[in-house]
Amino acid sequence: MTMLPGTRRLLITWATLMALTVLSMVSARLDQGNWQALPLWSAGLVVAATGFKAQRLLMVYLNLRAATPAWKGTFVGLVVVTLGLIAGGYLAARLGS
Amino acid sequence: MNERALPNPGWGPLSALPGNPLMWVLILSEMLVFSAFFALYAAERVAATALFDASQRELDPLMGGLNTLVLLTSGLCVALAVEAVSAGRIRRTRQWLGASMALGVLFGVIKGVEYAGKFAVGITPETNTFFGFYYGLTAFHFAHVLFGLALLALVTWRTSTENVETAAAFWHMVDLIWILLYPLLYLLR
Repeated sequence: MTMLPGTRRLLITWATLMALTVLSMVSARLDQGNWQALPLWSAGLVVAATGFKAQRLLMVYLNLRAATPAWKGTFVGLVVVTLGLIAGGYLAARLGS
Repeated sequence: MNERALPNPGWGPLSALPGNPLMWVLILSEMLVFSAFFALYAAERVAATALFDASQRELDPLMGGLNTLVLLTSGLCVALAVEAVSAGRIRRTRQWLGASMALGVLFGVIKGVEYAGKFAVGITPETNTFFGFYYGLTAFHFAHVLFGLALLALVTWRTSTENVETAAAFWHMVDLIWILLYPLLYLLR
């Protein structure tokens, strides 16, 4: 049996994930009537918030904090690469247009 | 680390992972598959930026955000089910699993409403490349939600620590993919 995160840590993580999701929604400005490209700082905030959410989900919800550093590095590394693809594609499209 | 102290002794490099090690192999492979699709999306977006921008305007970030909140809360319920089963509280475990499944169904209902709205105005997977990706990625993810719901139902029936940990790991992977999918399709414009 693995050492579990505990109810308190789970609730704090959940509150953090919810807050970051709302922050992402606001920073991406949900003003559909006035649609425009995001400023780069706002896009950066969305990507950073997404990365932090993914890290918290891996470490607490999936309890990877109880695994070896190699496994933590593998999963976090894969998330970083995926976010790099998402951010890179976005930047290339934005700067090329 | 002492092999005997690990959650799954005898599984070699997978010994250190909680729950059924084979589920982690599935999680890793699913993440790689979705990453490949994200790379393809990024390449197509660079090739047709104006089309992707115009199409993205048709999506409602509020619906996507709402679904993110629903799925994250469902993930909390599953994590609390793991806590409960490890404390031997089977009835409470089933209650948390039930709450998690109800939220999973709510996710599906919101997605269904979103799809219906798009189809009602004639937006289909064949409308253009962006909507091909939108329907393809979200439907593929939704297939994982359905499989996850079936797994949760199974472990609600056959409740044991290993079973609940294994189903929870899959459900959190579904969460994780959506967390990455949401900004890609709805927010980054």
